[in-house]
Amino acid sequence: MPSATPVIDVRVRHAEHVMGTVVSFDVPASARADGSLDAAIRWLHWADRVFSPYRADSDVSLLARAEITVDGCAPEMAEVIAACAFIHDLSGGYFTASPGGQFDPSGYVKGWAVERAAALLSRAGSADHLVNGGGDVQCAGGRGAGEPWRVGIADPLRPGRLALVVEARDCAVATSGTAERGPHIVDPHTGRPAAGLASLTVIGPSLALADAYATAAFAMGPSLARDWTDCLDGYEAFAITESGKTWQTPAFARHLTPT
Amino acid sequence: MATAVGPRALLAAIAAGAAAVLALWWHSTLSLSGLGGWLTGAGEILGLLAGYAVVVLVLLMARIRPIERGIGADRLARWHAMGGRYVIGLVSGHALAIVWGYAVTAHASPVSETATLLTNYPDVLMATVAWFLLLGVALVSARAVRRKMSYETWYYLHFYTYLAIALAFSHQFADGAAFTSSLVARFWWSVLYLLVATLVIWYRVWVPARDFARHKLRVAGVRQEGPRTVSIYISGRRLRELAAEPGQFFRWRFLTRDLWWQSHPYSLSAVPSDELMRITVQDVGEHSAALASLRPGTRVIAEGPFGAFIPDRTNRSVLLLAGGVGITPLRAMFAALSGTVTLIYRASTWQDVVFQAELDAIAEARGATVHYVVGSRQDLGGDPLSPTVLRRLAPGLHRMDVYLCGPPGMTGTAVAALTEAGVPRRRIHFESFEF
Amino acid sequence: MRRAILAVTATVAGLVALLSFKTHSSERTVAAAQPAASLPPGERAITGNVADTAYGPVQVQVVVKATKIVKVNILEQPTSTQNDLQIGQFAFPRLIAETLSAQSARIDTVSGATYTSGGYVKSLQSALDNGA
Repeated sequence: MPSATPVIDVRVRHAEHVMGTVVSFDVPASARADGSLDAAIRWLHWADRVFSPYRADSDVSLLARAEITVDGCAPEMAEVIAACAFIHDLSGGYFTASPGGQFDPSGYVKGWAVERAAALLSRAGSADHLVNGGGDVQCAGGRGAGEPWRVGIADPLRPGRLALVVEARDCAVATSGTAERGPHIVDPHTGRPAAGLASLTVIGPSLALADAYATAAFAMGPSLARDWTDCLDGYEAFAITESGKTWQTPAFARHLTPT
Repeated sequence: MATAVGPRALLAAIAAGAAAVLALWWHSTLSLSGLGGWLTGAGEILGLLAGYAVVVLVLLMARIRPIERGIGADRLARWHAMGGRYVIGLVSGHALAIVWGYAVTAHASPVSETATLLTNYPDVLMATVAWFLLLGVALVSARAVRRKMSYETWYYLHFYTYLAIALAFSHQFADGAAFTSSLVARFWWSVLYLLVATLVIWYRVWVPARDFARHKLRVAGVRQEGPRTVSIYISGRRLRELAAEPGQFFRWRFLTRDLWWQSHPYSLSAVPSDELMRITVQDVGEHSAALASLRPGTRVIAEGPFGAFIPDRTNRSVLLLAGGVGITPLRAMFAALSGTVTLIYRASTWQDVVFQAELDAIAEARGATVHYVVGSRQDLGGDPLSPTVLRRLAPGLHRMDVYLCGPPGMTGTAVAALTEAGVPRRRIHFESFEF
Repeated sequence: MRRAILAVTATVAGLVALLSFKTHSSERTVAAAQPAASLPPGERAITGNVADTAYGPVQVQVVVKATKIVKVNILEQPTSTQNDLQIGQFAFPRLIAETLSAQSARIDTVSGATYTSGGYVKSLQSALDNGA
């Protein structure tokens, strides 16, 4: 028989509209009490103000229009730019902070901001929490009673259904795909939408990297992505092609769980 | 006498159809409230009426014989033009009301709601293209613009309305609240569209082709009637079956290399026999000028007969009043009518008078009277067709049925003069050539 | 010109007449299900925010037992046209069935391509996030 204490009673769930999507929190009640949940939410809004390409007065927009230099931006900007450059080189150019020639590091920023929000909660003392930024998840610990978090992966070909359920403990799950917003991921080399994959999921320690890797791999298309994700150290991938077939990197299996 | 659908009957049918369309909206709407509900409801009603009205407009121009006969091509063309302007209003009102109404209900801005409608709702993009096509056709049909282009260019541009109707059709079923949940509504709406499409193909494609094969019309000869007027004789077989009445016209298509793609209306200028028809044309444009050089043997497609300008033979006392080229249909009537028939032929100069020998011969043979009123106003000292003159030339005028044909200016003043001379309006018949 | 004014006036008057007849005083047309007054023990009802869709407002309620969704009620849905009723009859039950099958895997969250909010999804998400 399962434990008599329902896990749901000591946890707090919160959904925050920010960055053009919804960020969902599953945190212990202590995070609400000690203000770390509010701090994490404030952090996300701050990141939105600084990095949003849709606000004319954000650092990203000003930098894109060359109205300020990197030195004039928040210090985090330099860190973001350096990280994007690293992933750009690692992915052979398939991840870029300047899609279409316009400076816009959103492909890295969202995962990075959510990861930082989760880190905020950890520093305040939470051992088990989950932050889901519009479909990209950073977990700490598990769902309680020693069990890992159970993360469903949406089936891109049948909306409303799950393709897979993975177990995640102290790691991130990021998915890139076309299911929600159509072909918005563009191959920087051709300038046209990537074809061949319906969705690609990357699991690894850091959501910032997992999100960027998933975006880059998706843009590569099925064959290149498979070889590239095989080489990623510490990060595993699972993909669903437009025809419904799936493939995964060899070590991905340890995240699987009988559903 | 072939069947004829009169103007009142047709208008009643159109009104009944509109009422049925409104009933459809009524039945599919349970309740509404708030500004968003009102705007959306208005948009739905306007959309349904527009979808119905375009079909009516096509029907008016489908050259359906009983309707042409009962109402007349000129009046149908006028109704079509007026209705066309109204339909543009309906379609535009529908688009704007729907966008606004949806935006209010969804608490979104009209701009973002437009984007949502265009990208998320099926077939709305096509319907929007259709709307712009209709606006374009309306623009080139405006008198100011139409004057600057050739008739043929305007005519072929107008065909884009068919494309617009086709493009807009699917969004009615995919997005229209009255249709998405009612198979019965979709069925009858489809029947309506299919019926009109069939009528169009029947009367504008099949019948002319059938008549062409059956009657084998050819140019038999061309005769110069005056300096700028020619008669074209057209031979064929079994022409009696066409049942053309004096006063009616056909739409003629002469199959030469330069003229085959144009069709023009000309009245019969003589009572047709089983083997011969005659039209008389004045040289006023490119097409009519080219007719003078038609070679015998040229094949002809004649669509018709059309026109409601047919003498009512119950009144034995008739006045025919012709101005200039308007003599053409009246010449045919003059030869066909019996009783007390008076013909007044108004022309600017004697050179413009045609058929004089024929008219005199007919007058003598049938005991009818011809009056030639020739000359400018100055020559004749005043209005040559004043009520006084008319009463003098046609005694007992107030008891007569008057058939009037001529240029618009002359027709207008003649109607006024006749009315003043005591002829009741219902006994004045005329057909306008301008359509 | 006079005919145009007449046509426009008559059309507007006709529209107003038709629309007035169908206007009902209630601000919102509310759907059938009322939130359950008393639930079996162990079950809790969580009500999502009202989402404004282009057809009207939609509000969803989930009934939760322990960590599992056992029932989904549509508290508010547009019912002002036959089309709305049809959606209510057919579409919502299908969406609900799919929701329940998704969550019967006992998951805590879903990873998928980044979403912006759609009316129903947003409502269910907020119901899940509001519960606890």
